[in-house]
Amino acid sequence: MTRSATIFSKLEKAGTFAEDAVLLVILVSMILLAGAQIFLRNFFDYSLFWGDEMLRMMVLWLTVAGGLAASRMDKHISIAVLDRFLPDRMQVVTKVFVDLFTAAIGGLFSWHSARFVMASYEFGDTLLGDTPAWLLQIILPIGFGLIAYRHLVFAIKRPFNLAGSPAGSNNSQ
Amino acid sequence: MIIALALVLLILLGAPLFAVIAAGAFWNFYQADIDLQAIVIEFYGIAEMPILLAIPLFTFAGYLLSESNAPRRMVRLTSALLGWMPAGLAVVSLVASAFFTAFTGASGVTIIALGAILFPAMQQAGYPEKFNLGLVTTAGSLGLLFAPSLPLILYGVIAEVPIENLFLAGLLPGFLMLVILSGYSIWKNRAIRTPLGDFSWREVRAAMRESMWEIPLPFVVLGGIYSGYFAISEAAAVTALYVLIIDVVVLKEVSMRKLPSIIRESMILVGGIMMILGASRASTNFMIDAGVPQQLLQWISGFVTGEFAFMVMLLIFLLILGAILDIFSAIVLIVPLILPVAVQFGINPVHLGIVFLATMQLGYITPPVGLNLFIAGYRFDRPIVDIYLSTLPFFIFLLFSVVLIAFWPALSLVLL
Repeated sequence: MTRSATIFSKLEKAGTFAEDAVLLVILVSMILLAGAQIFLRNFFDYSLFWGDEMLRMMVLWLTVAGGLAASRMDKHISIAVLDRFLPDRMQVVTKVFVDLFTAAIGGLFSWHSARFVMASYEFGDTLLGDTPAWLLQIILPIGFGLIAYRHLVFAIKRPFNLAGSPAGSNNSQ
Repeated sequence: MIIALALVLLILLGAPLFAVIAAGAFWNFYQADIDLQAIVIEFYGIAEMPILLAIPLFTFAGYLLSESNAPRRMVRLTSALLGWMPAGLAVVSLVASAFFTAFTGASGVTIIALGAILFPAMQQAGYPEKFNLGLVTTAGSLGLLFAPSLPLILYGVIAEVPIENLFLAGLLPGFLMLVILSGYSIWKNRAIRTPLGDFSWREVRAAMRESMWEIPLPFVVLGGIYSGYFAISEAAAVTALYVLIIDVVVLKEVSMRKLPSIIRESMILVGGIMMILGASRASTNFMIDAGVPQQLLQWISGFVTGEFAFMVMLLIFLLILGAILDIFSAIVLIVPLILPVAVQFGINPVHLGIVFLATMQLGYITPPVGLNLFIAGYRFDRPIVDIYLSTLPFFIFLLFSVVLIAFWPALSLVLL
């Protein structure tokens, strides 16, 4: 139990670190790239042909990575009205139910985005000139898969209320 | 029908909105025998809207500003300029909060960043506690109508209205709210005649020198946009880059070490909003294809005729909506459905946007889900009911200004 718990918490730490790294790298490169585009256009009348498309793909990556981070902190926008009136025990039950639902939807979305990316791969779609599009689209199945995993972990952990679970943090709106 | 009820129940139990919306889309598409991959393709549309770039960039800039000493400097500058008025500190609090909220996108950051300075200061100056709580809580979303606030941008994206026009349209209604609340504050505290201090050019100069890095920001953003020098998303990029350099490199008020957690916090909000946006693209398009706006129009035409009656109904609807749904989800989900209806009743889409946001602003201080109530309760360690009661007078005055804004379209449209 303790041993698997350590492995688990290590996995959590690594995951949080990876998420933070992805968010940091994308946001900072987004700021720099967008800044460079404005600078080049205004002073040299030049623009990177892949720049605008790259920026838009970065928005997609930030969306999914930010959504994943929101899942980890259990801070997705939601309207919990009923659960405040339920007794603690029932709250755990409804939260597990809600997590299982979110995991199922995340999984479904991940599955269909995997099909989408496969199709893009087979057609040989390209972005940014000649970069294979699937390389940039792969965030969708991975991100949603991880969101599904995240909520599945919540659903399993909540009843045991293991250390490190953000149970009870329903301050999201 | 059973599915719809189940989804509503899931929402009430606190399921993430994006997941519920996606579930609805999956169900509808499945029923209509459309490949479910289409939902992913709609979500992928996020990567095809250049304007969306503005959302993460402005949000990050706002979060970064709130972590620096900018809030403190802004209070000093506003005090120097407005502190001579009777009940000066209350007016200062309103103006500084509104200005700050415009940049932080009404995400609740204002209460945490500015409220923490203003609340104790007002307590010390002898204002009644109940008034202070109400003011700080209400002021947390006051700048919503001022550029470049996130809800204004999001409305522009969804309604496909030029965001520059929305920025202009929000100015006078935003000022109206400020003036009305300031008037109430001055009247309410007429017993406290002592202003903060006499007006002094020396203090103004000193405060301006201290804020010399922040003062150019609004001019760069708005000047850049209206001179046609750059687009909204580029203004966002310039703002983010500027704030990053100033706060981390020049003033060194935010350490490199803190940057990852600031980015994380701000991107959680961005991810939360954009996931809902992505998921709802599928369901919205489905509803439009199914003719929901036309049915809505027909249904409403059954008992409402004329612009005036429609506006009354719209306000009531938005007040209820604002009490249960946060502003971002409301924009994404409801605007596509009511915009065509409102246009049929002769309402200008830009005016609709201002009315929509102004009314939703009231939702921030309306139970059960009013975000500001919870943030203030948490921040100032007071029961939600106390906070709620303290905001009531402010709510009434804001409601009055919303009615003015709704039935006086010229106020929003005269600057266009």
